[in-house]
Amino acid sequence: MIKLRIDGNEVEVNAGTPLLKAAQKLNIEIPTLCYYEGIEPYAACRVCMVEVVRGRRRRMVTACNYPATDGIEVFTENERVRRARRLNLEMLLGRCSEVPVIRELAAKYGVEKSRFGYDPKEKCILCGLCVRMCSDIVKANVLSFAYSGPRRKVVTPFEREMATDVCIACGACAHVCPTGAITIEDLSQRRGEVPEMPLGPKTAISIPFQQAVPKVPYIDPDACIKMQTGGCGICAQVCEPEAINYTMQDEVVELDVGQILVATGYQIFEASQMAQYGYGKLDNVLSALEFEKMLNSTGPTGGRVLMKNGKEPRAIGLIHCIGSRDARYHKYCSRVCCMYALKFAHLVKDRTNAEVYQFYIDMRAFGKGYEEFYSRILDEGVNMIRGKAAEVVEATWGNEREGHLLVRCEDTLIGKFREVPVDMVVLCAAIEPNADQDRIGQIFSLSRSPDGFFLERHPKLDPMGTVNDGIYLAGCCQGPKDIPDTVAQAQGAAARILALISKGEVFLDPIRACIDENLCGGCKVCNNLCPYSAITFDDVKKVSIVNETLCKGCGTCVAACPAGAITGSGFTDEQIFAEIEGILADAGNK
Amino acid sequence: MPYRLHLMVCAGTGCVSNHALELRDALSAELAKRGLGKEIEVVTTGCNGFCGVGPILLVQPDGIFYQKVQVKDVPLLVEEHLVKGRPVKSLMFTPPEAKEPVPKMRDIPFFGKQMLVALRNRGMIDPEKIEDYIARGGYQALAKALTTMTPKQIIEEIKASGLRGRGGGGFPTGIKWETCVHAHSDDGVRYLVCNADEGDPGAFMDRSIIEGDPHSVIEGMVIGAYAIGAHQGYIYVRHEYPLALRRFTIALDQAREYGLLGKDILGTGFDFDIEVHRGAGAFVCGESTALMASIEGRVGEPRAKYIHTVEVGLYNKPTVLNNVETFANVPVIIERGAKWFAAIGTEHSKGTKVFSLAGRVKNTGLVEVPMGLSLRELIFDIGGGIADDGEFKAVQTGGPSGGFIPEDLLDLPVDYEKLYEAGSMMGSGGVVVMDETSCMVDVARFFVDFLQSESCGKCTPCREGIKALHGILSRICDGKGSEADLAMLEELCSVIADTSLCALGGSAPNPVLTSIRYFRSEYEAHIQGKCPAGVCRALITFRINDKCTGCHLCFKACPTSAVLGEPKQMHTIIQEKCIKCGACYDVCKFDAVTKE
Repeated sequence: MIKLRIDGNEVEVNAGTPLLKAAQKLNIEIPTLCYYEGIEPYAACRVCMVEVVRGRRRRMVTACNYPATDGIEVFTENERVRRARRLNLEMLLGRCSEVPVIRELAAKYGVEKSRFGYDPKEKCILCGLCVRMCSDIVKANVLSFAYSGPRRKVVTPFEREMATDVCIACGACAHVCPTGAITIEDLSQRRGEVPEMPLGPKTAISIPFQQAVPKVPYIDPDACIKMQTGGCGICAQVCEPEAINYTMQDEVVELDVGQILVATGYQIFEASQMAQYGYGKLDNVLSALEFEKMLNSTGPTGGRVLMKNGKEPRAIGLIHCIGSRDARYHKYCSRVCCMYALKFAHLVKDRTNAEVYQFYIDMRAFGKGYEEFYSRILDEGVNMIRGKAAEVVEATWGNEREGHLLVRCEDTLIGKFREVPVDMVVLCAAIEPNADQDRIGQIFSLSRSPDGFFLERHPKLDPMGTVNDGIYLAGCCQGPKDIPDTVAQAQGAAARILALISKGEVFLDPIRACIDENLCGGCKVCNNLCPYSAITFDDVKKVSIVNETLCKGCGTCVAACPAGAITGSGFTDEQIFAEIEGILADAGNK
Repeated sequence: MPYRLHLMVCAGTGCVSNHALELRDALSAELAKRGLGKEIEVVTTGCNGFCGVGPILLVQPDGIFYQKVQVKDVPLLVEEHLVKGRPVKSLMFTPPEAKEPVPKMRDIPFFGKQMLVALRNRGMIDPEKIEDYIARGGYQALAKALTTMTPKQIIEEIKASGLRGRGGGGFPTGIKWETCVHAHSDDGVRYLVCNADEGDPGAFMDRSIIEGDPHSVIEGMVIGAYAIGAHQGYIYVRHEYPLALRRFTIALDQAREYGLLGKDILGTGFDFDIEVHRGAGAFVCGESTALMASIEGRVGEPRAKYIHTVEVGLYNKPTVLNNVETFANVPVIIERGAKWFAAIGTEHSKGTKVFSLAGRVKNTGLVEVPMGLSLRELIFDIGGGIADDGEFKAVQTGGPSGGFIPEDLLDLPVDYEKLYEAGSMMGSGGVVVMDETSCMVDVARFFVDFLQSESCGKCTPCREGIKALHGILSRICDGKGSEADLAMLEELCSVIADTSLCALGGSAPNPVLTSIRYFRSEYEAHIQGKCPAGVCRALITFRINDKCTGCHLCFKACPTSAVLGEPKQMHTIIQEKCIKCGACYDVCKFDAVTKE
């Protein structure tokens, strides 16, 4: 530890500590522009100049990188220092005349207008923070300085406008830029986004959503700089419990289980397939999930309903049955949209003065208390238009009139074609089976109904079971349903599973196939034929084996076995022939 | 059989561009034709320094100096001098004051007052032959240092000699080396770098040394490396010096071949090799930290030197960086001893310094003089006075960011401290002489313009400040200046000098400050609308006086038809049309066009 004096106050620091940090210890503020905690000091802006006196020698140095030595005296606000800062800020103000940060700092030193020039457009003060961030911390080496002297500027490789092939779009440069000279535009979609809620980029390390379980941050490897370039690593530096692990990999865990509950969920119909509604093309046409995220008080707008321009909409159109009840896409009803659209209407009415239009085919308020909610919404003054919207177009009259967008539809209640001006449109897209529903089905030998969802064993008597014993269904993988239905089904399935576990043993139907190991040739023909995946192959004995708890005794393998090694227990050829003979014998007597 | 005569043809860049190589070939051909090829050898040497009168031919051992020798002079020269033994007077040099030509080199004042240490082999050897260098005592010092001295002794010797950095900074070389030895290096690696990124306009000291005597630099570097314990050296040469690059590379190969470089030098077990790094032409890369950044492959821009490069330099290792001329001095000091060297020069500036004399002097070229010589001697004795017998106005020392020194300070000795006190600096040795035809405001603007475009642009005061200086100076030159501008210049200059990151910005205000300090009246004249030297176009008026004979030449020359007049009648200039190009002034044979 060494001692030095700053503005007359003594402070003790480690030798080599930058004067800036030593001054911070004394709460002495030194202005900086090109300094950023965690990036090596660059000493380019010359705004942090202070005067150092050592013995008889007085000199001006930059506080950001001048190493403290024993016995020196530092002046941070004397006349020489103030003059140096004033002139340097005046020079910067001459370069970037309308940048608020520079204007404010210059004003602090009494400079309102620069004598050395005026440029209202220039924003870059060439502090090099972005360049150093990109090369030293992020290690992407995209940004660099080019040219010398007054022509110096920050460029992307070869001054190409788009450096997207090397830029990892981490946004760190824009983050450190003190003057807002850098903006980022995600041209090749490199920023991580929650796929179904693209209301803005998220950071590489985040808690996915407020209700996440477990509620801890995770690192998105596609967006994480450390994983992309080997640079950065700041999160590990600041994490005191040392919880950051960059080398952790996804792993496949194999568990030995007796029963499986399939609850693989659903996906949302991609509304951009129906080009007439303008999703993905027109501003302020949102999907229901995006709108839900916006309404969430922990969401990007803090729960306020805002258009892209930051203003509140004057009218909102909620269009039902996007992709549902539509012969071209899904014939079924998605069941949840009517009610959440009503909820949206209620929240919008609650939080804004906007008009709300519901464009529906039929209102399906079938659940407990739903019809009552529907009536209440009607009382709140929501406009209900019965008739599926035909298209959403940009309003041609500009921003001044009633709305930016125009919803065209036929109002079947009054039998007229209508054009409704709105500022925002929310599309209630269909619930549809996951894209990999087919593959999951194959894994568990599950059948699918014509709509693509998994088929339950019996629609009325066994809505959560499947034809395979021990495999159950819950939730939207079986068909669109709302939360109460899903919970009911899931609890039912859980009860079924627990019942078996608590019993500890299974009762089997007596009808099943048996393989005679002496006759089995190991041809494996039966293995793939079994619709219940009940036959496996014993690699040691080289014979096929029937899992008796899975076998339903359908007899497919019995008929197929070329060696005649499989018999249906209780249904051997001899027994069947005997039964036939018995019946025929009796017939002969008649 | 030894040769009877040696014809030393100067092959410095100046003479080569004046067809010295064609001269050499013509000489060889002529000698062969006359069967003298076995008696007389033609040697191409490095620069003689007297570049203004090239191509230069020196006949040794007589020391007869021929100047401006053309290919067509060859038959006469060979016939008269080489065959008949009668030196050719018409090709000799006549000093400005003398009536008769001076035959011998050492009698010419330009050479007479010089003292050659760094340039000791100037014009005497073929720089592409290591044998020539060795024959003149080359590599003796290396042998002495490596076999009879310890690194510590070498450093003590250099310290005792008082040798200071010749690149401009003037830091004592011995102390630099000693600091480097004491600096901590984890793996013991230290580097030695030679700075040959000579960027000052008109300065070519380092180029001449490398082109004329590359081995002296190599020898100095090896001794330095041995002293500090470095095993890898670099020389950073400007890309614009192709001949220097070629000769240095040849010299390196020869030194390696002779066991004077590389592994186990002179059988002493000491290893050291040198790598040539070409600079891409940035002036700022002559600055030590920028130069090292450039060698490392990064953008050549300086960093703060609160931790010196001798401690943390190239690749973060302790590094000694010295200039070409500094290294060229080292072998002489080792060979002849510190005492001998310290006897030359002034109290704090020892030895000699090479200068490139340029501007409005009669004898332009490269000279080496002992420290302490006055500027007057340098300019008037060696330089031969002002060209066209003009009147001395100012001299700028130390390159583009050196200050201007006026006539009343001409007796200032060449000395690091004395020049600094006068507002200028030693720099790398550029000397630009100005006479009454130079406008000091315009000259200051010129150098500020150079510095503005050569600034790397990293720090605010250097990038924005010098640009602002240029703007104000331009305004004054355009006749739009005010008293406030002068105050603003001084204010800006002091902050630029105070707060710039490296020496480029730190010294950039020198031309402005010294021109204001010594030539304030010129600034004031500009502000009042006059350019005393008649240089700043916005402030001059061309008129035709009664000397006009009506020759009509100016009428024809004027691009804007601003000259009116019938042939044989007096002409006049219509000021509204005049663009002040000076075409009329240049063509008038009767001094009838005046500039005011």
